[in-house]
Amino acid sequence: MRQRASAMLPLALPMIAIIALFAAYPLAISLGLATQRTFGTRVATDVGPQNFLDALADPLLRKAAWNTALFTIFSVLVQVPIALAVALLLERPRLWARGLIRLALLLPHMVGLAYAGVFGAVAFEKRTGMVNRALHATFNTDLDLAWLENAPITTMVIISAWLYIGLNALILRAAMGDVDPARLGAATLDGASPLSRLRHVTIPAIRPVLGLVVLLSVVGSVQAFELPYVLLQGGGVENRGLTVVTYLYQQGFEIGDLGYASAIGWLLSLVMLALIATTALLSRRSDA
Amino acid sequence: MPALGQTLTPVGVTILAIALASGLWLFIRPDRTPASHELWTFAEGHAEMYEQLVERWEIENDLGITLLSMAALERRMMGGFLSDAPLAGLIEIERRMAARAFAGPVEAIGFTDLAPRLEAEGLLESINPASFGPWRVGNKIFGIPHDVHPVMLSYRADICEQYGVDIGAIETWDDFEREMRKVMIDQNADGEIDHYPIAFGLTHRDQLELLLLQAGGGLFDANAKPMLDSDANAGTLVRLSRWIAGEEPIAADAAWDTAGGQSQLISGRALCSFVPDWQCQVWRNKMPQLAGKVRLLPLPAWEPGARRTSVWGGTMLAIAKGNPHQDELWALAKRLYLSPESARALYEESGIISPIADRWDDPIYDTPDPYFMGQTKGRDYIDLANQIPARHPSVFNEEALDLLSTALSTLVRERRAGEQNDANLAQRAAALLQQAQTTLKSRMQRQGSWRDLEAR
Repeated sequence: MRQRASAMLPLALPMIAIIALFAAYPLAISLGLATQRTFGTRVATDVGPQNFLDALADPLLRKAAWNTALFTIFSVLVQVPIALAVALLLERPRLWARGLIRLALLLPHMVGLAYAGVFGAVAFEKRTGMVNRALHATFNTDLDLAWLENAPITTMVIISAWLYIGLNALILRAAMGDVDPARLGAATLDGASPLSRLRHVTIPAIRPVLGLVVLLSVVGSVQAFELPYVLLQGGGVENRGLTVVTYLYQQGFEIGDLGYASAIGWLLSLVMLALIATTALLSRRSDA
Repeated sequence: MPALGQTLTPVGVTILAIALASGLWLFIRPDRTPASHELWTFAEGHAEMYEQLVERWEIENDLGITLLSMAALERRMMGGFLSDAPLAGLIEIERRMAARAFAGPVEAIGFTDLAPRLEAEGLLESINPASFGPWRVGNKIFGIPHDVHPVMLSYRADICEQYGVDIGAIETWDDFEREMRKVMIDQNADGEIDHYPIAFGLTHRDQLELLLLQAGGGLFDANAKPMLDSDANAGTLVRLSRWIAGEEPIAADAAWDTAGGQSQLISGRALCSFVPDWQCQVWRNKMPQLAGKVRLLPLPAWEPGARRTSVWGGTMLAIAKGNPHQDELWALAKRLYLSPESARALYEESGIISPIADRWDDPIYDTPDPYFMGQTKGRDYIDLANQIPARHPSVFNEEALDLLSTALSTLVRERRAGEQNDANLAQRAAALLQQAQTTLKSRMQRQGSWRDLEAR
């Protein structure tokens, strides 16, 4: 066994070198930076763990964390069930224009977050925006509904659902292809309703992929930056749309405090690691 | 173990070949260090103008001009300062970018201090003094000002005439509110007011800043220390909250730079808007429907006899400190920014008035502008140039503006909740601004910039 491992080491060396150069080294630099206070282009002072302590006591970071948590929770709650429903719809054997529907589902994802931000800023604009015009025409709501000022997180959840539901649905649809038809048939013969078949056969069969979709949604939402940056030009009115990564960017690249920004980045990474570990643990328990 | 031939399919070989070739090209390609006499700019109009001037002067071989997006220019500039990556000799930057470049101790700033050269050549006296504000740190000046950027108020002359608004009777913002209320009626009986006097909203941060400056408040003093809690700022916020959410709000949220805002300006829903000199050309291009319908008037003052303008935007030309060709770059910079020819081109191409007072006699500024109903707007902006308020650079500018805009938003919320007493709201504004001042000061202290300011 040891002989085999030593034979494989030379093969793995290039990858180890690449990881060391492009991942481990920058991480080490960033950890060092997190213990410095940087100001301007040439000034850095060692401050030990002070940046971390400051970050934990920073009310604006707390607000950003709260906003990010809300965005993450609602993104997952909206995206995953709808994606599952769309995937089931795509499973229907006699679905009309299946290819066209798939294309329509994937298109938003193909345009990317920056475009979605620009599009969202126009669509959710007061008075002239498509959303307010449609709501006004249908429900006679106020044309001046201030989505971006008063409800930026809701707006971001809607835009990110538009972006990702299609992709998630296609991933889930692919996983559903692996569900054993014999088990589904048996369940049908036993008189199980479609909902029961979904709950007791389909979902258990696609659980690993479902877990992956949830995990990707959580990680993507926790890292939200491009969307609020383009949509709100930062944190929005009263920082109602400020996310952790936007705040990190502001501190690091607008104020120039790279040390503080690194500390925030490390705290965010720890939170993400905890989330991933929790998801893995829950998934392992439910498998057992 | 599979043979190499089995692993390397034609596709695999192609990918490998592309990877090797591109890697090799990256390795051997020539260094893309910018030419020593190179100018980076972020404004397309400026780049075109400089290219024409350089061609006319036949100095194409002496100066290369590179147009970059504002974000790219900032990244490259900061990259140069942080990591010694190559920089152009001349860099044209906007004032918010400059504030970031000026963070930290003065001696660490990556631009050349031009104060000695400006003083030696008598340019300190001939350039509009307030135009130096954003480029000055202590007694050092890190750029030649490109502009003055006074602000006027555009108004729909056709609609004002129709409703009998007496523009001549407007001297202060009180006069403005009183006169302009004449247009606030629902003539077409659709249940909505047809015209709102002014384009303003909670997200109009630039307009908020210019109004604070006009009122004698602002964000930072000459020593770059925050002055958020001034009485002038509190009074301004109370008035602006009334514009947005008073018993009879006069503001329509029509941003000049969004499609929705422009459609409100074109339809006349928003009647007046803040227009600095650089925006005139943008209006002409983006809202041609308004040609012959709009005019400009000096901003109404906060008090009778007080300042009738403010300032919005600003650009400078800086010389990279590490560049060995300082004298040649200085000569090029002067020619590009301070020559009579460039001053004329600047006005012709972009409607921007020169910062050099000696150039203001040029008859080009007296040319009637048909877009603004034949108004000699160049002369009108020049007449206001010496009134523009001073601004002082700080890397915390955006944070300060965030805090002020949050205070305004809070006042708007309180008005919407029923509190419409201006005296009570003034007290509330003072408290909010005091809190904002404390917050900003503590952030500056945390980062160490306060200590640096004390040292300056």
